[in-house]
Amino acid sequence: MKYYTYFPGCSSSEGTAVAYGLSTQAIASPLGMELIELEDWNCCGSTPYGSTNELEAVCVAARDLALAEKTGLDLVTPCSSCYTTLNKVNSQLKEYPDLKVKVDECLAAADLKYKGEVKVRHLFEVIYNDIGLDVVKSKVVNPLRGLRVAPYYGCQLVRPEPGFDNPWNPQSIDHLIVTLGAEAVPYPLKDRCCGGSLVIPEVDIALGLIHKLLESAASNGAQCIVTVCPLCQTNLDAYQGMVNRKFRTKYNLPILFFTQLLGLALGVEPKALALDKSIVSAEAILAPYIKVTKPAV
Amino acid sequence: METKAYLMIKTAREDGGDGHKSAIKELEAMPEVEAVVPVSGEYDLVGIAIADTPQAVVGVANTIQAKEWVKSLHVLKVEPVAPNPFLEEVCSTPGGETVRWCAQCGTCSSSCPNVAQMDYSPRKIIALIRAGRRYDVLTSNTMWICASCYLCTVRCPRDVKITELMHTLERLSVRHGLSLGRATAAMYRAFVDSIRKNGRVHELGMMMRFYLSTLPTGKMNPLATIKMLPLALKLFLHGRMSIKPTKIKGSKQLKTIVEKARASGGAR
Repeated sequence: MKYYTYFPGCSSSEGTAVAYGLSTQAIASPLGMELIELEDWNCCGSTPYGSTNELEAVCVAARDLALAEKTGLDLVTPCSSCYTTLNKVNSQLKEYPDLKVKVDECLAAADLKYKGEVKVRHLFEVIYNDIGLDVVKSKVVNPLRGLRVAPYYGCQLVRPEPGFDNPWNPQSIDHLIVTLGAEAVPYPLKDRCCGGSLVIPEVDIALGLIHKLLESAASNGAQCIVTVCPLCQTNLDAYQGMVNRKFRTKYNLPILFFTQLLGLALGVEPKALALDKSIVSAEAILAPYIKVTKPAV
Repeated sequence: METKAYLMIKTAREDGGDGHKSAIKELEAMPEVEAVVPVSGEYDLVGIAIADTPQAVVGVANTIQAKEWVKSLHVLKVEPVAPNPFLEEVCSTPGGETVRWCAQCGTCSSSCPNVAQMDYSPRKIIALIRAGRRYDVLTSNTMWICASCYLCTVRCPRDVKITELMHTLERLSVRHGLSLGRATAAMYRAFVDSIRKNGRVHELGMMMRFYLSTLPTGKMNPLATIKMLPLALKLFLHGRMSIKPTKIKGSKQLKTIVEKARASGGAR
């Protein structure tokens, strides 16, 4: 069993991506992971805080890092935005000593201390590197043979932090899809932007981006898109209807979290994967695979 | 008076790329040297040096000429540096100092998914910052429609942190009161207030606050807002919208941190 401190992030804990949080919990123990939720975590601040007040934003994220440091474990989050934000704060504190002094003072006012030792990791990267695809493969009891999946990386899993996968042509999600017995279709826009939180203030710009992503997946024969980011899932899933109206298209592409696809292949009870929370239903394409009920041990 | 000199340098190093690399490194390590760019032709490198007086700049040129690997050095131009407080302001933020490295190649602009909707492309924004055009930059829509996808950042051959720069410009635009009516700014406010109040973002509350706050500005079409209602309802019916915000236990502790940060002024 591998132990991690778990940072669900706002949307995966009870918001628009609650299915991500639920399916993460459901696959953790079959894969030999114990995810211990960080006690009383706060929002990482994401892009909006950093674009409002720099020092405040860094301090807010540093509270999480300080709390996580006490646990002595790696901090794992399924959210690409939390991953990038917390990593950015970590590297800024190292790069700018004058900033660190100020942040230390602010944390000290609340009896907290952060030495800078927490390793922030994305859930996907942990499964890919720590658990490993060989182990995943050995636990697949329900191979998703014949399912054509578009691997969608989005932005912040592979950028800007280097090291985990190639930021220009990432391959890791493709490998996972193949490991689960499914087929990874060519997806040229696999790392292009879905619009992120611009979908709220600049919906027309975001709809244009979402349209391109759906078009690329559909024209390459994908039956569904798999994602590693709560915001990507919400944009591609919930706004698909608006895209269809605006561009007179008829996309009907379910958008799944990688944890849902993984859980299905591992034989996790489909109910626990919260598939019913998708707005574009995945029922039809997943029906052939929803039969095994015994979970892998 | 602060003075800038453009220096053309020919190196004695025959090993082309790698020899130049170490020469560039050595020059960049000098505090007076603002930038070094490799060129082809008669000379190998162009350097820009800045010092407090014309005499001091000549001293810098002499120091460089005295290096054993410099074959020849030609001072192309010496000119007084006009004060550029806007550039200084940008450079004082974490990551902002990287705008000095930009070679204006335009890789950022050609990578940007939203460049077609921008008043100025990322490359132009950097040129305008270096020209000191504070008002033009901070009233533009460019940074407000950056989606933080970081494609420009990873592709930039000069390691300019363009995405961070966009965040910096958003902050400066708000600070100078030039962001009025920007929908993205209103959304950020609603988002941040939700964190300040509860410690976490309550999506439903944040979105409601955002749509209500944009109605009187006329920036968002009221019809467009109403169009979002079916979407919100769909999310709600699928159990993806919690009605009540969650307040963290340490909200008082967070408040202490936030207040202390505000009292400390800027980040650096």
